Amino acid sequence: MKFSKKRSAALIGMALAPALTLSGCSGFGGGSGSGGGDSGSLTFTTWASKSEETSFTELVKKFESEHKGVTVKLNVVPYQQMFSNIDAQLSSADAPDIFRVDYGNLGVYSSQNQLLDLSTYFDKDEIATFNPAMWQAISYDGKPYGVPHQTDVSALLVNTDLLTQAGISVDSLPKTQNDAWTWDRFSGVAAKLRASLPNDKYPFVYNWQQAGAPRWLSWLFQAGGNLIASDGKTPAIDSAEGAKALDFTKSFFEKNWVPPTSSVKSPTYADSLFSEGTAAMGFLGSFLVPDLASLAKFNWTAIPLPTDKRAATDLGGNALVVTKATKNPKLAATFLKFMVQADSMSTFCAATNELPTRTDLSGDKIAYQVRKDVMPVFVGQAATIQPSDVKQLTSPAMSAINTALQDQLDAAFISGQSTGNTLTNLTSAVKEASR
Amino acid sequence: MTKTSAPALGVATVADRQHTATALTRRARASRRDRSQSWHRNRSNEARKGIAWRTLIAVIVSLIVIFPLYWMCVVAFSPRGEVFEPGLHLWPSTFTFENFRNVLDQYPVVTWFGNSVVIGVFVTVLTVTVNLLAGYAFAQLRFRGRNTVFLLGLATMMIPVQAIMVAQFKLVVGVGIFGTYWGVILPAAAAAFGIFLARQFFIGIPGEIIEAARIDGAGHIRIFLQVVLPLCKPLLAVLTLLTLLGSWNDFAWPLTALKNNDLFTLPIGMLYLKNQTAPDYNSIMALALISVLPMVILFLIFQRYFVQGFTRTGIR
Amino acid sequence: MSIMTVHGPDANASGPRTTRRDVRLTESLVGWGFISPNLILMVIFLFLPILWAIQLSLQETKGFGTPEWVGWSNYVKLVTDPVFWQSMGNTIVFTLVTVPIDLAAGLGLAVLFNSALPARGIFRTIIVLPMVISGVASGMIAMIIFYQSNGLINKILVAMGLSPISWQSQGVPAMISVIVVAIWLRVGFNMIIYLAGLQSISPELYEAARIDGASRWQQFRRLTVLLVGPSTFFLLVMNVIASFQVFDLIFVMTGGGPGNSTSVLVTYAYRNGFQIREQGYGAAIGIVILIITLVFTFIQWKTSRTRDLVE
Repeated sequence: MKFSKKRSAALIGMALAPALTLSGCSGFGGGSGSGGGDSGSLTFTTWASKSEETSFTELVKKFESEHKGVTVKLNVVPYQQMFSNIDAQLSSADAPDIFRVDYGNLGVYSSQNQLLDLSTYFDKDEIATFNPAMWQAISYDGKPYGVPHQTDVSALLVNTDLLTQAGISVDSLPKTQNDAWTWDRFSGVAAKLRASLPNDKYPFVYNWQQAGAPRWLSWLFQAGGNLIASDGKTPAIDSAEGAKALDFTKSFFEKNWVPPTSSVKSPTYADSLFSEGTAAMGFLGSFLVPDLASLAKFNWTAIPLPTDKRAATDLGGNALVVTKATKNPKLAATFLKFMVQADSMSTFCAATNELPTRTDLSGDKIAYQVRKDVMPVFVGQAATIQPSDVKQLTSPAMSAINTALQDQLDAAFISGQSTGNTLTNLTSAVKEASR
Repeated sequence: MTKTSAPALGVATVADRQHTATALTRRARASRRDRSQSWHRNRSNEARKGIAWRTLIAVIVSLIVIFPLYWMCVVAFSPRGEVFEPGLHLWPSTFTFENFRNVLDQYPVVTWFGNSVVIGVFVTVLTVTVNLLAGYAFAQLRFRGRNTVFLLGLATMMIPVQAIMVAQFKLVVGVGIFGTYWGVILPAAAAAFGIFLARQFFIGIPGEIIEAARIDGAGHIRIFLQVVLPLCKPLLAVLTLLTLLGSWNDFAWPLTALKNNDLFTLPIGMLYLKNQTAPDYNSIMALALISVLPMVILFLIFQRYFVQGFTRTGIR
Repeated sequence: MSIMTVHGPDANASGPRTTRRDVRLTESLVGWGFISPNLILMVIFLFLPILWAIQLSLQETKGFGTPEWVGWSNYVKLVTDPVFWQSMGNTIVFTLVTVPIDLAAGLGLAVLFNSALPARGIFRTIIVLPMVISGVASGMIAMIIFYQSNGLINKILVAMGLSPISWQSQGVPAMISVIVVAIWLRVGFNMIIYLAGLQSISPELYEAARIDGASRWQQFRRLTVLLVGPSTFFLLVMNVIASFQVFDLIFVMTGGGPGNSTSVLVTYAYRNGFQIREQGYGAAIGIVILIITLVFTFIQWKTSRTRDLVE
């Protein structure tokens, strides 16, 4: 035998001692959810990009210094696990006091009576400081179940180096909503790019991957269609507009305008394909601007999304919500208020290139730290969101519909499922989900 | 371990048997040597050619097998973004530690590493202990219900974790260990694999040794601790290494059972990096290298035990 | 290697007649005492969840809130769910492709490395090394190698004047990429089992065959393949189980896509249980996996009783 008991014990000891110190031994404790009922502590679970994490940390520190004796534990988790974690913690009464949730998922929790009704904490005047569409996004049955923390919308980012090579002059690019490309004009540009680009490069890439599938609805809205009728239940997607939007987006794959790896269920996100130079244009959210600024080794700018019957974009961004079971509802509500007060929101948005939800911060009031020049395009794009879009995108059925959208769109784009069948399947999925 | 010590692990038994077999063969061969020697000489030239060909094939196969690991190192030491740039680079244009600095600066890699170690050590100590006890009982003690329980364990041995994951998850949540080390450690220690390895080993221990100790008046626990355990060092080595390896590389269950960033293990950490907006593959490979290295080193040192263990249990 | 046989030794409790019963009783108590720590863990974390999974599969639950009893409807849904059947088909295809290749390559390499070779030990170590690499790390490495738009393989293909392969956007190449990595991980294991098997074959037999004028190929087919039969059976079982459970690789490399063309039963169960809030349905898929596994274990156990495994 090569190693004696003593030596192996010593080895284990050597390995364990630093490891236990490093991990602080905290992992053996019970659930750390509600902060043990301590009146002065809150837990806040979120996912975050690097710049978001930095801002959250700063703001939490500021909050703690303004409220002596209060501690807020910030817990950053991967987005993929975020909601299965939250679901589990809710079912075991071990949920964090506060968590971050996208507007699509919020409906699931508010409709299942898991969130704190914030009606008593916000008066009319305070509500009036928020963009009405965003306030609607966090409301269910007329009651607010969170605060709209930020929003972000997609615009069209273009690699101007590749466009110039294809003979598309940078000066000809649209700058504001008024001169946005029509679908036809956009198709023309894509075709021109296709003709000039080598086989392994593509005219554009769209950000509908994975949970981003509802971003496809922008095309539907632009075509003048709807997913759900105004009663909030009846499927409305099986329509001439629905067919038009689906046919158009299907053609992206048929004509080789988008990378074949960029379908809805692809594990590769659109931003990677754009930043590595595989796609000449990318439909991307403003929150990616900081990453792109450091990664992309080419010149790029942002232009408005193409329009058809109308202009439209997706409703990105997230709310902050308080769980119903929190032991410190008042403190949690205070924290939420702090996070959405003008200076906090302004700091957060400036650092992360996201858009504010307060009307008093609209326009060019945020001092963006990175690529300030492209931000007006996103701000202008955000104005194209209509209340009827918000209502559909924040329906409690949306998280179930999201799954159906991923399956059906992917089948249409990749597996050749016909437009008719896809719309029929989506219709029954909407019916099933809003039952 | 000497050849004459407890005929323990199957590999040893195989070796022993082979030993006898070769002895017999040698005798037979001696009697025929005269006949076959000239025949051997004629073929020696051809044999040399054969060796050359086989070596060539071996080199090619080995290069193919080792290449992915080489590529991991290349990417880990290349400047950011170089992998996906056009043009073929088969080695880093400049050798850099930037990715390691990045990944260590931006993510709690040291904590993740520590978590992997802590969970690995606890799973291993716990699993090995309970498996040794159970394996010994199944092998050397007679008691009512023994075979029933053993069969039950056997039947569940092959069930993939995903089959009962939802329920296991609800259970872990229900007993309040979701999101703690215990949530990963205890279900991992419930695996039955080691019992069979241990049982097989203990069956090989001659009953006389145990009987002799019993006649001397030793109790079962004392026999186990003082007589049996000292005999099973090779088993201990194999069991320990395999359990540690399994825990270190485990992914699906920790992914489900851990909720906080600061308790993640290295595989979950890798996934976390991959899911960042604009994933940085150079940093991911740097982290992959960090996570793979301890097991590779252990493997190179204790290769013999790993191989014995693999042979016995068919892990993976 | 009969890990699957159940026959303990005869504990020769040959004490004086009068105390025999007492001895048995103590031994029973001690026996149960020895297995109880492991048994308790297994009951709580294995048997209990199995029962719970059966219950869950009859419910509809989002994961929080009150679950709703739905009877057999999750199972009815299974039968009519094309993605479930596709996942089942993919699992079978994956198994049918990986297992024979694993076996053949394992045997080939074992024969190669059992013959006279310089630095044999180093070669063997290299082939076995991937076994200690985690599925996640392997998947990550494979992702950058198979990356479609400018991964290594496609770059090499283009440099050779060939057209790149759609590893990530077409079902068949995606499946192939996962299969290749799975084989890479596993072939070393097959090799060492076969090596052990080969080493127990007496060289005498080959010598006899040579003298009878059998060619190398004939020796291989008539002798080697036949004599490593027990190893082959053992490996067949192990490879089928491993293929049936492939999760980490697919989760990391393809996520089951493109479309559902690399979705297998275990990833589909995970998706339903943990990604799209269909826990009841996920549990039902789990029960199907459980039944298949148990049936397979049973067949294998029956067969191994009549057949001595590797040893």
